[in-house]
Amino acid sequence: MADKKKMSVADILAAARKSDGEGAASDGPTASKPTTAESAPATPEAAAPAKPAGKVKPAKSASGGRLSVAEMMAKARAEKGGGEEKAAPAAKKSADKKPKPAAKKPAAAKAATEPRDTASILAAARKSSKAGPMSKAEAAAKEKANPKAKAKPKILVPPMPEKPAYAKPASGTKKKAKGTADEERRDFLWVGFGSLAAVTGLWSLASLKFLFPNVRREPPSKFKVGFPGAYPAGQVQTKFKAQYGVWIANAEYNGQSQIYALKSVCTHLGCTPSWLDAEQKYKCPCHGSGFYKDGINFEGPAPRPLERCAIRIADDGQIEVDKSRVFQEEMGQWEDPSCYISV
Amino acid sequence: MTHGLTDAQFFDKVSSFLVVFYLALALMNGIAALYLWRSGKMKTWLKLPLPLLGKVSISNALVWLTVGMGFAVLGAAAGGRPDWLSLPESFRDMINESTGPVIYSAGTTVILIILFFFRSFFVRPAVAWTIWNLMWLFLGLSMTDRDFFEIVAKPDNVPIVMLVFLLAFFTWLGTSQAVANDKRMANGEPPLEKLGNEKVLVWPDLVYPELICMIALTAFLIFWAIALPAPLEEAASSVKTPNPSKAPWYFLGLQEMLVYYDPWMAGVVLPSLVVAGLMAIPYLDFNKAGNGYYTIKERMFSYSIFQFGFLEMWITLIVLGTLLRGPNWNFFGPYEHWDAHKVQALNNVNLSEMFWEQFMPWISSFIPWISSSSWALPGTLSLADISPSLDPSNWPSPIAWLGGIVDPFLQFFSLLFGRELPGTLLVLGYFIALPPLMALTVFRNFYKRMGFIRFMVMANLLLFMGSLPIKMLLRWIFDLKYLISIPEYFFNF
Repeated sequence: MADKKKMSVADILAAARKSDGEGAASDGPTASKPTTAESAPATPEAAAPAKPAGKVKPAKSASGGRLSVAEMMAKARAEKGGGEEKAAPAAKKSADKKPKPAAKKPAAAKAATEPRDTASILAAARKSSKAGPMSKAEAAAKEKANPKAKAKPKILVPPMPEKPAYAKPASGTKKKAKGTADEERRDFLWVGFGSLAAVTGLWSLASLKFLFPNVRREPPSKFKVGFPGAYPAGQVQTKFKAQYGVWIANAEYNGQSQIYALKSVCTHLGCTPSWLDAEQKYKCPCHGSGFYKDGINFEGPAPRPLERCAIRIADDGQIEVDKSRVFQEEMGQWEDPSCYISV
Repeated sequence: MTHGLTDAQFFDKVSSFLVVFYLALALMNGIAALYLWRSGKMKTWLKLPLPLLGKVSISNALVWLTVGMGFAVLGAAAGGRPDWLSLPESFRDMINESTGPVIYSAGTTVILIILFFFRSFFVRPAVAWTIWNLMWLFLGLSMTDRDFFEIVAKPDNVPIVMLVFLLAFFTWLGTSQAVANDKRMANGEPPLEKLGNEKVLVWPDLVYPELICMIALTAFLIFWAIALPAPLEEAASSVKTPNPSKAPWYFLGLQEMLVYYDPWMAGVVLPSLVVAGLMAIPYLDFNKAGNGYYTIKERMFSYSIFQFGFLEMWITLIVLGTLLRGPNWNFFGPYEHWDAHKVQALNNVNLSEMFWEQFMPWISSFIPWISSSSWALPGTLSLADISPSLDPSNWPSPIAWLGGIVDPFLQFFSLLFGRELPGTLLVLGYFIALPPLMALTVFRNFYKRMGFIRFMVMANLLLFMGSLPIKMLLRWIFDLKYLISIPEYFFNF
């Protein structure tokens, strides 16, 4: 469970160094555990390759590990001088100074010596189960056979390479002079974006204009519907519904005989009800709301009565309806004398 | 569609359809019998002693073959005298008179509950196949009724008829597997889905069937579009609404909800809550059973709530709205003529009116020291009420300005807690008092496992879901329009 814990900075560094030492040859989960047992017996071993360093290639880099600076220097000296007595202490010194990377090398070397030829890789691939999807039973069998495979390999963090000089942010004194060709090209980019924004803006304005049509095919809100005599008591006139969306009725409201104009818009969801003369009610086809002759709601879901429009006797004696002004019963607006004509 | 046709012409039209219809049913049963015979799933149901042949074993394949032959005979009869193949007039009248929104909703609920509790009986292949045949037979026999034909054969409504049959099939398919799994798990066996090798290759096991389905579906849609042309209506007009005016079929459940609720509630709040609630399911569900296999017993709560919401609150309302709602959104029986002048008494009253104008005077008639005339709808408050001696017209402008801002709020809340107090208390009690009560009683274990917030979310979603049938019941039993009705501020519940 130790590797499940969050790693401290020191741990990360240690792991990084370790992986550095191991190089490419990491072999599964066993390598990930930094055991002291590995490094302790390694110390005498480390001295052993150091001794013949002068004779053979010193600190055999074939192990895949990177050479430490001290080792590199030792190698260089050995090659230059060719003296055994000179190289040996240097190598020894390096081993003393930095025992860790040197200690890892033998283990890593061992890993690197594993066979890597095509035949063996193919054989290893063939050894594993058949390709393609497998059933749950197969997966379970495989897992049983090879329980180790389930253990997640630990991810080793490689050290971050130092930023090269060219990638470092330029210091304040090194500002580029203005007006170079590069800058000019960038300026042109702004021209492009600017003109794009301008065109988009103009187009938006143009499409906004479509919301306000030049011609509105709407009937005028004020219209005349004939003389009061044309409305006998107790009748609802439906002939203005198709054009203007109003019923003109002559009926009693609160015991008073009135001529009024009701808007033919249901107060539930705005469908157009129909006047049913046989039942003496307005009935909405959408959800079944019903209204009495005076527009009061009594059945279905409509929450409030139909709305009245302004109505008056014009100067020529005709009735004039103004649809732009509506009067709502629930707000007590039907008391307003401009929404009915007393007869 | 059949307007202006004489009865003889109508029967000609129906008979050409019914011959194909019954022959298809005969073929369906014949194929079923063949399948049972060839796959070795024949079962002997009973041994019939016959005088000449001795004991004859009647197997299921034989029965379905006979049924298929029966349908073939019906097909032949439909070619000759389709008017013979109809349900008795008295039976149709009885159905017409007994159905209404109440009987329909209560009936479907009862049927669904029976189907649910006796599911291990109804999912048996023989029982299910019998019901399936009866459904088709009912449709075929009803087709000779002009009013029924008018509704069912309307190109708009054909998908709903298909939906009823498809839904019956798929519900059976899922339930039968769930019942089988529940039985296996009761015996300590793993569910069926865990047995086989459930993983298959994408190519060709998945892609091929997909391709075939795609081609078949396209062919079907083309055939449908040719056979039943889309109905075109006259140009739209803002002052003329078709009667009845119906939403697209998938919205007809919503349209039915709108009959009982304010548009804001049924059109905005409840649909959004449906979507939000469906999205919340993964976060509310703590039952880990039933993952990857059909089961009912292990997920009783989730299953029953979902099926109630889907089959009862959505599908049956769509069927109701499509097939049984006629002109003026009146309810019409399946064999009833769509009469635009059908009179239905639907005098709906708000709760506040019931309370202040009927209930309180009635109560006070028993209590002598309260004068019965003092009860009326309480009015509204405004800033002017605070100092009635001052005439508002003489107010200095800052106070008048303040009144303009404060008055709407004052008015609204005085209505909410004055005139509409009974409804307000009921609604608040329903949404605030019920969840803790549920946590303490019925949903004790749920509360323990879900924690406070998750439980409250679930409880409120459940209560909102329950509010729809409750509101429908209140409308049917008490002619109640709204519990809280403040039309002055478009606030109705």
